[in-house]
Amino acid sequence: MQQMDGKLNFRQWLYLAGMLVAGLLVGYLYLTAGQPDMGIILDVRLPRLLLTVFTGMSLAAIGSVYQMMLANPLAEPYILGISSGAALGSVLAGLTGLFILMPLFGFMGAMLTMILVWTLAQKKGQFDRTRLLLSGIIAGMFLAAIISLIMYIYQKDTLLILGILMGNLGHIFSVGEFRFFLGCLLVGMGILVMLHRDSLKLDILSSGDLYAASVGLQAHKIRQRLFVLGSLLTGIVVSYAGIIGFVGLIIPHMVRLRVSNNQRLVYLHSLVWGAVFLLLCDFLAMHLTALELPVGVITSFIGCPFFVWLLLKKR
Amino acid sequence: MPEMKRKNIWLIIILLCCCLLGLGYLLIRSLPRQDAKKVSAEKRYVVLSPEIAEIIALLEGTGNIVGITQECNFPSEYAAKTVVGQFGNVNREAILRLRPSLLFCSSLEQQAVAAELAKLGVRTMVIYPHSLGEMLQAITTIGNAIGQAQRAKSVRDSLAEELEAVKAKRLGKFRPKVYLEIYRNPLMSVSDSSFVGQLIELSGGDNVFDHLDRDYCRIKAEDVIRKEPDIIICYSQDSPDIISHRMGWKHLPAVVNHRIYVEKDINPDWLLRAGPRCVSGLKRLQGLYAANGW
Repeated sequence: MQQMDGKLNFRQWLYLAGMLVAGLLVGYLYLTAGQPDMGIILDVRLPRLLLTVFTGMSLAAIGSVYQMMLANPLAEPYILGISSGAALGSVLAGLTGLFILMPLFGFMGAMLTMILVWTLAQKKGQFDRTRLLLSGIIAGMFLAAIISLIMYIYQKDTLLILGILMGNLGHIFSVGEFRFFLGCLLVGMGILVMLHRDSLKLDILSSGDLYAASVGLQAHKIRQRLFVLGSLLTGIVVSYAGIIGFVGLIIPHMVRLRVSNNQRLVYLHSLVWGAVFLLLCDFLAMHLTALELPVGVITSFIGCPFFVWLLLKKR
Repeated sequence: MPEMKRKNIWLIIILLCCCLLGLGYLLIRSLPRQDAKKVSAEKRYVVLSPEIAEIIALLEGTGNIVGITQECNFPSEYAAKTVVGQFGNVNREAILRLRPSLLFCSSLEQQAVAAELAKLGVRTMVIYPHSLGEMLQAITTIGNAIGQAQRAKSVRDSLAEELEAVKAKRLGKFRPKVYLEIYRNPLMSVSDSSFVGQLIELSGGDNVFDHLDRDYCRIKAEDVIRKEPDIIICYSQDSPDIISHRMGWKHLPAVVNHRIYVEKDINPDWLLRAGPRCVSGLKRLQGLYAANGW
């Protein structure tokens, strides 16, 4: 049953609290597994935990917003091509030996792609939802082809490129890089708050542009705003963590299946569920075998069967 | 009448097609043929792996090499040879055009190329030394293959002697803990079962990642911190300054004592190529230990 007021009932509070407790538990394990000393916890694991939590929150949040904004259940943070732009930027920086500048190049790649997709999405000066989706997909495919070409030519850097394409949360921070990351984190959290504040408007948009106009909302302006905010956030995330599939697609659907259809609630739960899910996946990626596995593989291995189970249970 | 006309047109088209096909067939027949099975009593070698190229050079067989990969850059006389691609991306047609009597290649992706070319009758030899012992054995194998068995034996004996001498030089001395970084993102190092790991051990150092799942393997940054290496050899393009600013690394003995060495300090080809120049790598490593008072 749809809850329009966006307030949490007892069951939803319970889900949220349960997830938070699970998150704390996984977080504790994440930091302390293998009895590391305090130096390792503070200098290596805590930055990684922060990156993982931020990435999980952002991907799930953007997924929930895009699915609603584009009225497409397959929409996810990477569908608008921004991630490919960020990945290409990071790859180019890595290939030229500018490892420290990888996040910056990634971010620039994301921004340039955003401008391109934005321009292509205009129809007679108006923002068009279908054109946005199509131009995003085309731009993403084109940029992905460039990355494939680079990977083919620079085979010795295959690992670096795969790390970006399959997700790599084991970013090694220098002190300066970590400070810069904290700045990005702050900006990212600000964007997450702004997206949260647009939840009610998104709910209204889901009833149709005519209805939105009747209550004084300009649908295309809201979509523009959401697109820019979502792209900025995707750019930051991919620059640091690479492309981690599944979280942005599946988590919002899981939340809708278990909690509510109200966007504010979906958004709020997606933030927490996304963070906990990715934390768990990264923990498993690090400790399941002696060789660290790509986190993107784990997210799919866990996410797919769980989602199928949820679907079957709901039928 | 129009039907007759249409039939005639079809007949003409079919006749034209037949003529074109016939012409095409004759044209292809007239092209010079390369039968890989017939090539050469003469010695024409194509070498895809730089370490094999170095061994052949030591055995004075470079005169018969007609093709190499981009990575085969030592000794400098290889600069004049025809390049048939990169180590992991060779041009099969370019190899066939050179009509090799023998194709030398390494393991992994090159083996698949060798298997394909073998189907066309190209004789191939796969050589991928995992250890110093296998490297010495490779010298004998290559020597036999290129008709330089005698020279191979003397080169092998003298290299074995040099290796023994290098090993003896550090016996009983302090074994510094060595961390060798071959890749930065993700972090990768070498195990003792790799050729490089064995070189570190033989030089009198103690490879900090003695046991890994693979010879060249992904590692965790926190494991490097735990193992507190005395020396860092970094081939991942990061400068000593960048390494020393990595979070949690500033207290490592190698960082505190400025013992981070990069490509300009020790040529990566000396350590990473399983070839005869590894002796230079061993001596350089020992020089670094000695320079630090060990």
